[in-house]
Amino acid sequence: MKPAPFEYYAPTSVEEALATLQSLGYDGKVLAGGQSLIPAMNFRMARPAALVDLNKVKELFYIKPTSDGGLAIGTMTRDSVVEKDPLVSERFPIVPYVVKHIAHPQIRNRGTFGGAIAHADPAAQIPALSVALQARFLVRKQGGERWVNAEDFFMGPFMTVLEPEEMLAEVVLPPMAKGSGASYQQVSRQKGGYAQAAVISVVVVDENKRCKDVRVVLFSVGETPILSQTARKILVGNVPTAEAIAEVAEKISKDEVDPGTDIHGTAEYRRHLVKVLVRRGLTEAFERAK
Amino acid sequence: MSIVGESVVRVDAIGKVTGETLYPGDFNLPNQAYMKILFAQHPHAIIKRLDTSKAEQYPGVLAVFTAKDVPNNEYGLIMPDQPVLCGPGSTKPFADRVRFIGDQVALVIAETEQIAAEALKLIEIEYEALPVITDPREAMKADAILMHPDKGSNVFGRYRIRKGDVEKAFQQADVIVEGYYQTPAQEHAYLQPEAGLSFIDEAGRVTIIVGGQWTHEDQEQIAHALALPLDQVRVIYPAIGGAFGGREDMSVQVVLALAAWRLHQRGINRPVKIIWSREESIIGHHKRHPYFIRAKWGAKRDGKVIAAEMEVIADGGAYAYTSTKVLGNATLMCTGPYLIPNVKVDSYAVYTNNLPNGAFRGFGGPQGAFAAEMQMNKLAERLGIDPVEIRMRNLLDEGDLLSVGTPLPPGVSIKKVVEACAKAAGWEKGENGWHRPAGFQVETGNPSLKRGIGFACAFKNVGFSFGAPENCWAIVELHGDAEIEKAVLYHAAAEVGQGSHTVLVQMAAEALGLPMEKVELVAADTAVTKNSGSVSASRMTFMAGNAIRGAAERALEAWKNEERPARAEFQYRPPKTTPYDPETGKSEPNFAYGYVAEAVEVEVDIETGQVRLVKVICADDVGKAVNPQQVQGQVEGAVVQAAGYAILENFIQQDGQVLTKTLSTYLIPTILDIPEKVQSIVLEYADPRGPWGARGMGEMPYLPLAPAVGAAIRNATGRWFDQFPYTPERILSGLEE
Repeated sequence: MKPAPFEYYAPTSVEEALATLQSLGYDGKVLAGGQSLIPAMNFRMARPAALVDLNKVKELFYIKPTSDGGLAIGTMTRDSVVEKDPLVSERFPIVPYVVKHIAHPQIRNRGTFGGAIAHADPAAQIPALSVALQARFLVRKQGGERWVNAEDFFMGPFMTVLEPEEMLAEVVLPPMAKGSGASYQQVSRQKGGYAQAAVISVVVVDENKRCKDVRVVLFSVGETPILSQTARKILVGNVPTAEAIAEVAEKISKDEVDPGTDIHGTAEYRRHLVKVLVRRGLTEAFERAK
Repeated sequence: MSIVGESVVRVDAIGKVTGETLYPGDFNLPNQAYMKILFAQHPHAIIKRLDTSKAEQYPGVLAVFTAKDVPNNEYGLIMPDQPVLCGPGSTKPFADRVRFIGDQVALVIAETEQIAAEALKLIEIEYEALPVITDPREAMKADAILMHPDKGSNVFGRYRIRKGDVEKAFQQADVIVEGYYQTPAQEHAYLQPEAGLSFIDEAGRVTIIVGGQWTHEDQEQIAHALALPLDQVRVIYPAIGGAFGGREDMSVQVVLALAAWRLHQRGINRPVKIIWSREESIIGHHKRHPYFIRAKWGAKRDGKVIAAEMEVIADGGAYAYTSTKVLGNATLMCTGPYLIPNVKVDSYAVYTNNLPNGAFRGFGGPQGAFAAEMQMNKLAERLGIDPVEIRMRNLLDEGDLLSVGTPLPPGVSIKKVVEACAKAAGWEKGENGWHRPAGFQVETGNPSLKRGIGFACAFKNVGFSFGAPENCWAIVELHGDAEIEKAVLYHAAAEVGQGSHTVLVQMAAEALGLPMEKVELVAADTAVTKNSGSVSASRMTFMAGNAIRGAAERALEAWKNEERPARAEFQYRPPKTTPYDPETGKSEPNFAYGYVAEAVEVEVDIETGQVRLVKVICADDVGKAVNPQQVQGQVEGAVVQAAGYAILENFIQQDGQVLTKTLSTYLIPTILDIPEKVQSIVLEYADPRGPWGARGMGEMPYLPLAPAVGAAIRNATGRWFDQFPYTPERILSGLEE
């Protein structure tokens, strides 16, 4: 299929992009890597009146260290660049590991870090990763900007707090705390295909191996990335025993996720996967926590 | 000369990698029109009313054709039981009904594809729904509604094998093993969906450029449906993007020809083009047959199988396609390559309202092999005999009688094949026979990841079976004066990606004593090549090689006699085969076979149910590898396709509707899903009848994979799974039981 007719703009600076978005209002849609938007348009599931293509906006492609030990990632940075960047793997070893699970190399060569977040596919890795890592988003519009926490960004499937004239410009990852460990677990029928269930776990332990913080983020099993409250309640302040982890896994799979049945698996099976993957993820994350 | 046996570069390699090669969908002619097909979408119904007037009046529409426009409204590879177009006004009885959702009802030919698609929506159609039957076991019942009321039963294929006395033998058996095996449908998922172009050529022939597997059979079926003399129809195959049996039956061929011909009769001389979407391809062509096989085998304590009783039911779907032939193979192969003195098989091919089922790599062999090898592995376990050892005690030797009461043709190598595979997979021969010192489980260090080893073997015919007419033509033309400057080989073989054209040129060069560069191939055009039979049944290298040798010999003779150009043609006819005796099954089923064995290692995640194929060792006796690199490619391709069949692919039909019409819902293995390692052991025990000793090999490595995986899962988890695909949920629910 071919997309419905649309207008096309290719600004070369952020200022020009923001001005274009401002003038287009509800008709405008940002085109980043196009790995989700273009297929959606070809299926006529998305019919934007105008595309504002950021691929020529050079100032949006970057990975910069922040002085506190974190990273600032320009919204147009390709997934494959994030995947292979030595600074990323040094400061956030979990990031390239998760990014590697996004579809196939061709798609990662085009797909962008910020684009995946703004697109907010409930089955996508990067939105969940941003919640797990407590990312902060720089959102810009003509004549203004604001910061939004990843946790507050996703409203529903393909829905975010972004206004039509706004653009996600930068993703800031705060440094991993001392004593952190992380793990990624996913199951998909076909490698590179959508996960039937997936979980990113980030934990922090103190010198006594007690859990100081735990962020378990599930995706592909609900409408947005799901940050588990149960994990916090049960684990923070305690030694993460196998029994405690099993209890968390059991409770999350029962109470905190809402998977559907589709052609590749039943809701019951995906709920079961959540239980297995949370247990494996937390176990691995605590093992890695140093 | 030693061109045969060399891994020469494929003759079509450069064109394909540079994109110069044209596939059926790439052909265009000036002033061409576009066709779209109205599919039934209803699995079983009578078309009470069909009104195309609005579509005909839609601007840009050139014509709409329905059943009443088909001169002889029937076709079919083995029996003409399918209407070209379903609907009122047909020349044949009961063609007013649709029997599956891919039945074709109307053709719209228009200036553009979009116009044709819009006009399709204006066709008014009124259905009277009929009961839908999707389970062949239901369709076999006496009170089931008849899919084809002109036939007395939904059972349209039926074989019996009666060898010895199974009842008596079961009484003498020390152990009896039973199983009820269910094998799934499978989609061919070739790269190139159906496409083609039809026109009236300079000689006034209805001509189609299309992908298929047998030019001359397409030509015959088109001529039959259009009521035209054979020489009024011309079929040309360009490069074809995969087939795997899925192009053996008609898809767009007859309707393309019909459209160009009817337009021509109306004074509209315009080529007609069609390209199916992936969804149209998936509902529009047949699938691999789902089978239901009940098995009961008895053996003595020493492992000798003395009796096998089988009931084999194939879901034929809405039309026959090649079902009876596929069933013939399954009937023979469901008792494996074993010497079993007492055999009773009852097999049935049954109409349902599912998509028609037909040819697919292995052609009944994989389904038969699954039942046979699962049975053999269960027997081995029950008797405490190694799975390789028990096979060695039962495998057929030269002169041993098959279930159908006759021996295999000379060149029986299955024991050597099993031995080669077993050795490579860590088996050893000791005082008590074959055993695997390392056992059948592999330690992973992770309590939820279990690894197991499985073994299976199989035999598969080369060439048409059971008395089907079998022959192959080749024409060789030698040009030059004092020396041969150029040889032209005219041959109808379809190049479906398997490498046949390269191998034909290799064999012609070898036979003529010429370098390959001097051999030109003119291929797959009914106007200039003679009937080669289909690319199927792993037969083309075998058949064409013998035909080319004959033609080359005669052309060289003519050359010596100073004919310029020296031209000769030759028809190769292999030894005759005979059909099943209707009561006993006694027959000479085939003139050649290939033999294969596989050992696999799988990893099962017992908490998620995921099965991963870690390693496959495949030993295949190909007789002579004409092009070893292409042979290896065929082995690896077959293994990956069979791995999809066994583990990943899951074709779902519900109430006659297909729920997996796209490649996002019907998942096939990608490069990331294939086994970590496929080790191909290419054995060359010459077939005395094969050209340079070659046997066929395109299908063989497909056959043993699913049962080998089944055995490996058993060794990993302690459970037998008699039904596949081995989806995570199936595995998990089995483990929970």
